[in-house]
Amino acid sequence: MKKVSYFPGCSAHGTSEEFDETVKMVMKTMDVEMEEIPDWNCCGATSAHTLSESLAYALPLRNLVLAEKLSNDTMTIPCASCYQRMKATKVHMDEDPELAARINTAVVGEGKYEGKVAIKSMLQYCYEDMGLEAIKAKVTNPISGMKLACYYGCLLTRPKAITQFDSPEYPMSMDYIVEALGAKATPFDFKTECCGASFSISDTDIVLQLSGKILEMAKESGAHAIVVACPLCQSNLDMRQHDIEKKYNVKYDLPVFYLTQLMAIAFGFPKEKMMFSKHIIPVDSALAHIGEVIEEPKKPVKGKKAVQAESEVE
Amino acid sequence: MITLSYKGKNTFLEAVNKKSGSDVLECYQCGKCVSTCPVSNFMDFPPREIMQMIKLELKEEAQMANSTWFCLTCSACSGRCPREINIPAVMEAVRHMAIEENFHPDSKRVKNIRKFHEIFLDMIKRYGRNYELRMMAEFNIRTRNLFKDMHLAPTALLKGKIPLGVKPLKSKKAIKKMYEMAEKLEKQNK
Repeated sequence: MKKVSYFPGCSAHGTSEEFDETVKMVMKTMDVEMEEIPDWNCCGATSAHTLSESLAYALPLRNLVLAEKLSNDTMTIPCASCYQRMKATKVHMDEDPELAARINTAVVGEGKYEGKVAIKSMLQYCYEDMGLEAIKAKVTNPISGMKLACYYGCLLTRPKAITQFDSPEYPMSMDYIVEALGAKATPFDFKTECCGASFSISDTDIVLQLSGKILEMAKESGAHAIVVACPLCQSNLDMRQHDIEKKYNVKYDLPVFYLTQLMAIAFGFPKEKMMFSKHIIPVDSALAHIGEVIEEPKKPVKGKKAVQAESEVE
Repeated sequence: MITLSYKGKNTFLEAVNKKSGSDVLECYQCGKCVSTCPVSNFMDFPPREIMQMIKLELKEEAQMANSTWFCLTCSACSGRCPREINIPAVMEAVRHMAIEENFHPDSKRVKNIRKFHEIFLDMIKRYGRNYELRMMAEFNIRTRNLFKDMHLAPTALLKGKIPLGVKPLKSKKAIKKMYEMAEKLEKQNK
């Protein structure tokens, strides 16, 4: 059995409890043991790096030092924002030992940072370490029939120098995973557009506009639902969806799943354990598509004249 | 576009370059960042213009603009910048300098954004983690907008979307000390 360190992040104990719970189900099925970082602290999220450079590095650094005390070589993080802050800190500290030593003085009494532990987002861990074949092998209840728009948001694959994972413009890892579960990933151009993130509270209008465009494009792609791997994306697209519909006088009715919720369903866990009751947009309409046969669009049949013209050209 | 710039020591340009680790002079004003930026339409000056202001030593103008506060650090611009400038880092450098030198954009939206971040950091200082419900409540109180998002409260609370409490850290003292040390580092860095 493999063992990894686990950093749940504040929202795992708050708005995204269902993400945390289903991550545990998925990891158990894949025979990976998770060891939570003892007494971890908040990564500082957007607020720390907006206001103070030192705090933006010091808060994640304490967690990195704590993680090094455990004997695992990898730390997985479900929240995209925590992942981004921790990975950015790691990359900058590893590049600049002088900066690392300076920031380390603010992490009082926990020891020295050495840069031993690799940091991966939950999506990256599923794709790179578990692998599509292994995921496919555990599927007992394929979610075929569902059409899903995979939404990565900005922080899972960008900036490339920090994340070193997948494409910053048109990533495919999550698409491949949902297809391994049996679903169909729709062609979706707004995969990495920003949802408005922390402006959810401080400047809601921005979130309504940005998340509104993402919902619009997801609907247009023909999706029954959106899949995410970030708590803030989920709450902006789900909790604010009614506000968006009201503001722009539209109707989307698009449930927003965490990737791990769908993985857990495909692995045969009962629906009742997914904490769907916490979703603001009900998920039943999307789940009802499971088992449907999706008809592939037929290739247009060429007329006799067109075939003749083509052969003449040859 | 030819830009006359004040290349030399102790300039705004040099300070921004040093802080951000990018060379703003590389910018040739193509505007790709503007068309990529999801919030450029909310900004007083889009990223391209901020770049030009830095080159022209328009320090006060750049620092008083709301632009750096609206930047989401989504890094869409830097991924597409043909000159490979780390634009979010430049925006951040300008913002950090504005904070240090007490430049406060006179816009209610910026004040709200700043207040939100201050409350967030205050939550971490107090609990070591973010206390979501309390943070939202304090934001409403401190921005004198008590009923903001109240329409979400019944569903969010009943469904358990937002829990009532928070599990605080055991080593709260370590976080308090970290805040003190970080403040010292910030002063040394000036």
